[in-house]
Amino acid sequence: MDDVTSFPNASSTVFHLSRKVTSVVPESCLLILLGLGLGGIVLAVAKKAEYQLEPNMFFLFLLPPIVLDSGYFMPSRLFFDNIGAILTYAVVGTLWNSFATGTALWGLHRAGLMDPGIEAGLMDFLLFGSLISAVDPVAVLAVFEEVHVNETLFIIVFGESLLNDAVTVVLYKVFNSFVELGPAHIHATDYVKGVASFFLVSLGGTAVGLLFAFLLALITRFTKRVRIIEPLFVFLLAYVAYLAAEMVSLSAILAVTFCGICCKKYVEANISQKSRTTVKYTMKTLASSSETIIFMFLGISAVDTSKWTWDTALVLGTLFFILLFRAVGVVLQTYVLNRFRLIPLDRIDQVVMSYGGLRGAVAFALVILLDREKVKAKDYFVATTIVVVFFTVIVQGLTIKPLVTWLKVKRSDHHKPTLNEELHEHAFDHILAAVEDIVGHHGYHYWRDKWEQFDKKYLSQLLMRKSAYRLRDEIWDVYYKLNIRDAISFVDQGGHVHSAAKLSLPSMPSRTSMSESSVTNLLRESGSGACLDLQVIDTVRSRRDKEDAAMHHVLRGSLYKPRRRYKASYSRHFISPDKQERQDKEIFRQNMKRRLETFKSTKHNVCSSKSKARLKEKGRKKKNISLTKETANGKTHRSVPWQDAAPVLVMVSSEEEESDSSETEKEDDEGIVFVARATDEVLQGKTTPGSLDVCPSPCIIPPSPTLAEKELPWKGDQADLAVYVSSETTKIVPVDMQKAWNQSISSLESIASPPGIESGPQHRRFACPVLEEQPQSASQAMPEQSSCFQFPSHLSKSGRSQSDSSPDGPEQQELQPLMATEEQGRVPPSAEPRWLMFNKAGHL
Amino acid sequence: MALSMLAQESGSVTSEQIEHLHRRFKQLSQDQLTIRKENFDSIPDLEFNPIRGKIVHAFFDKRNLRQESDGLAEEINFEDFLTIMSYFRPIEMNMDEEQLDRFRKEKLKFLFHMYDSDHDGKITLQEYRNVVEELLSGNPHLEKESARSIADGAMMEAASICVGQMGPDQVYEGITFEDFLKMWQGIDIETKMHVRFLNVDTIAHCY
Repeated sequence: MDDVTSFPNASSTVFHLSRKVTSVVPESCLLILLGLGLGGIVLAVAKKAEYQLEPNMFFLFLLPPIVLDSGYFMPSRLFFDNIGAILTYAVVGTLWNSFATGTALWGLHRAGLMDPGIEAGLMDFLLFGSLISAVDPVAVLAVFEEVHVNETLFIIVFGESLLNDAVTVVLYKVFNSFVELGPAHIHATDYVKGVASFFLVSLGGTAVGLLFAFLLALITRFTKRVRIIEPLFVFLLAYVAYLAAEMVSLSAILAVTFCGICCKKYVEANISQKSRTTVKYTMKTLASSSETIIFMFLGISAVDTSKWTWDTALVLGTLFFILLFRAVGVVLQTYVLNRFRLIPLDRIDQVVMSYGGLRGAVAFALVILLDREKVKAKDYFVATTIVVVFFTVIVQGLTIKPLVTWLKVKRSDHHKPTLNEELHEHAFDHILAAVEDIVGHHGYHYWRDKWEQFDKKYLSQLLMRKSAYRLRDEIWDVYYKLNIRDAISFVDQGGHVHSAAKLSLPSMPSRTSMSESSVTNLLRESGSGACLDLQVIDTVRSRRDKEDAAMHHVLRGSLYKPRRRYKASYSRHFISPDKQERQDKEIFRQNMKRRLETFKSTKHNVCSSKSKARLKEKGRKKKNISLTKETANGKTHRSVPWQDAAPVLVMVSSEEEESDSSETEKEDDEGIVFVARATDEVLQGKTTPGSLDVCPSPCIIPPSPTLAEKELPWKGDQADLAVYVSSETTKIVPVDMQKAWNQSISSLESIASPPGIESGPQHRRFACPVLEEQPQSASQAMPEQSSCFQFPSHLSKSGRSQSDSSPDGPEQQELQPLMATEEQGRVPPSAEPRWLMFNKAGHL
Repeated sequence: MALSMLAQESGSVTSEQIEHLHRRFKQLSQDQLTIRKENFDSIPDLEFNPIRGKIVHAFFDKRNLRQESDGLAEEINFEDFLTIMSYFRPIEMNMDEEQLDRFRKEKLKFLFHMYDSDHDGKITLQEYRNVVEELLSGNPHLEKESARSIADGAMMEAASICVGQMGPDQVYEGITFEDFLKMWQGIDIETKMHVRFLNVDTIAHCY
């Protein structure tokens, strides 16, 4: 069996690879065809059919994984929201299909249209009808997963295929026993028993499932010390549920389905992240393996001609009737259901539902199980079943996709969950429940609300770990996930950027590839943090002072350190699950702080974050420009992402360089940038800002860096100024900006000393999330930062002291040394071998 | 007379349903002509609803009552009660695009007004935080700080959806109704915000 199973898996892999084929042809079709081919080869070689889809193997080993997978990953909210429709189709629909098909075929037989060799009475045909009429979960899943219809439609068809098992099993067993008894010996009580057994089988199966779900949840609550076998419990207990139900002749499919649906919430909360992943992938792997095997074997078994006898009338009649009655049944039921449904199923939905009623391996296994002694026409039924299964899987499976496209069926839209959406959904639930309360109508929302309260109060308490229970809230979950995702992508980008920086090439794609909508990105990109409160701008201290101070914090707090911290918690998060709780909290705290930080609306807070943002902006701009120059093309400037700029901060490693005097001096220039830029803005009466406002922020970056860069030369060497203006400015800065620039240049030239001037308020984006402000003992902190940002240590020191002793007085004094250094500082950049230098090289 | 008019206005609500609602109304108001806020306190099931305050508030919000004026009503009569209920009508099969759109906007407006507690046409961060805090108040283990940060995150998200890349010193003051509509794009509110009793024959269920 082993080699047999591995073989189909391999072939399935091949199919996965050839996407072109599978985009048109469903995998199930290909597998069946492949099975047919293989069966043919085996038959030709061995002269007899070797392999068969054995009913026992099918029911005991192949079916459970698929059902468990579908139950466990069933979107339970959606499922229960549509439970009414699903149950109707599953119970009434299946009953109708079997009786109608059976009776119609019997009629056909009576009319003499079939081969008279078929010895079958009404009971036989009803038996056949019961097994052929059930929609098959495996086939439906295989086809619908590739079609992507909207989720309501999917859940109805799929839910029906799962839940109709109870009906099928009961009908099959009842009719089978009737056939065995013979029509003459059936009493009225037998019919009553049949009906009663339906309830017993379905409700009993469900109860078994719930029982095991409860056990499973309870067990996983206490597996903290044996994490490694957590996934095992999930599979084991689900399987035991299946076997237990099967043993007592209850609906095993229902048992596993409900076990999966109900335990998921608690199990997921209890088991560790690793176990969760393991469960997920093992389940998916098992399910798709089984599916592959089932379809392959369907193909292989079909070539076994000894098992079946062909009768055209029966085959065609069956095909016709199942299609017809399915459609009729769907239309009738939908008509009734739509009177109760809030979202009516329209005609297109009905077409898809009718057409999507695929038959599959369950029918085949059931027909093989028939006893030839009792059911004389078994061979005919086998042939018909094979044809029906092949027809529905291949023909309908092939055409349903074009049909869905042609009918313009609403497709499912896979958008990431957003926090707002989740919040609103919850608000909805409460509102609707409240309205039902107010109106005094105990409807669906009322009971759901009641259930949720019960769940929260008792079930969750009982079945969830204390730690898990405490943080159990869906809104929180979404927030949590978004946060984790952000954190991870943050780290990823960090690594990415880092390497990119080493190469000294901006990697454009890295930006587009990252998820644009994520909150953190927003933070970084749109600078919303910096934008929440305008009034801050009006609170004026000495800007320079503030900026310098803030720069420390930015560098120290948010740029270098957090990255390292993130990385640490990231890896820890995934490596040692035991510490997870703590880590989670840590990640939260960091993210939360970051968010809060950016959102603080109280004045002083915003103020600081604002200026930080501004400063950061500067830093980024600087970097950007350097990158831009590096690549030496004008176009880059608009798309250079901040991440590319970010490496500046990471460069701590190059501390030796920092000691290098030449470099330090280089960096002096950059330090001064702020002042210069500020000056120009102030002088211009904010022409620049105005124009900037209009631009979407991405475009904004380039101009300002240019300005900043331009100003560096001015700082260091007045003579160079003209050159810079002409070459760089024209390249990058938009026309109006250039004008502004020129103005500012002239004004700058007229101004002797820049330090006194305050920087303009206009610094946009908030480059990096600010994790926390760290009050620093600056002297030791500074060198590190300066290395990060390529600042000379003394410069930063001065900045620090300013921040510490915020009064404006000292500022002037501090500035003097700055100026001095700058003047001295102009050293040819060529000496620098490292990438840091290209900044300089760019200017010069 | 007012009833029949309302029945027309609110479309699908049948006279039978209105009768039921009227019974319920009288029950709530203890046979008075109007309902006051206190009357809602007598509904036992409502007690556990975390955003109960907001919901009850919405019933007295004049903006929801299609009145010209702003602010809060002291008491509402049955007509107003029906008006509020009509926000929870389900869609009908025969609605065309335009009707659907209006319908959708109406529902969203109701929701928007619930969030916008100071009636300034914007959901500010503070207002959003309040809502989230209330929503999460059912879970005693979540601290206020978490609720706040969730609200902050949501607000940021909203800002990104509505404004996209923000300008330098642009301030996102709050979610306006237009922004609100934008955020709801792609989500079928009309398929979510309705209550069944307004669709099928109601079982008079009283306690």
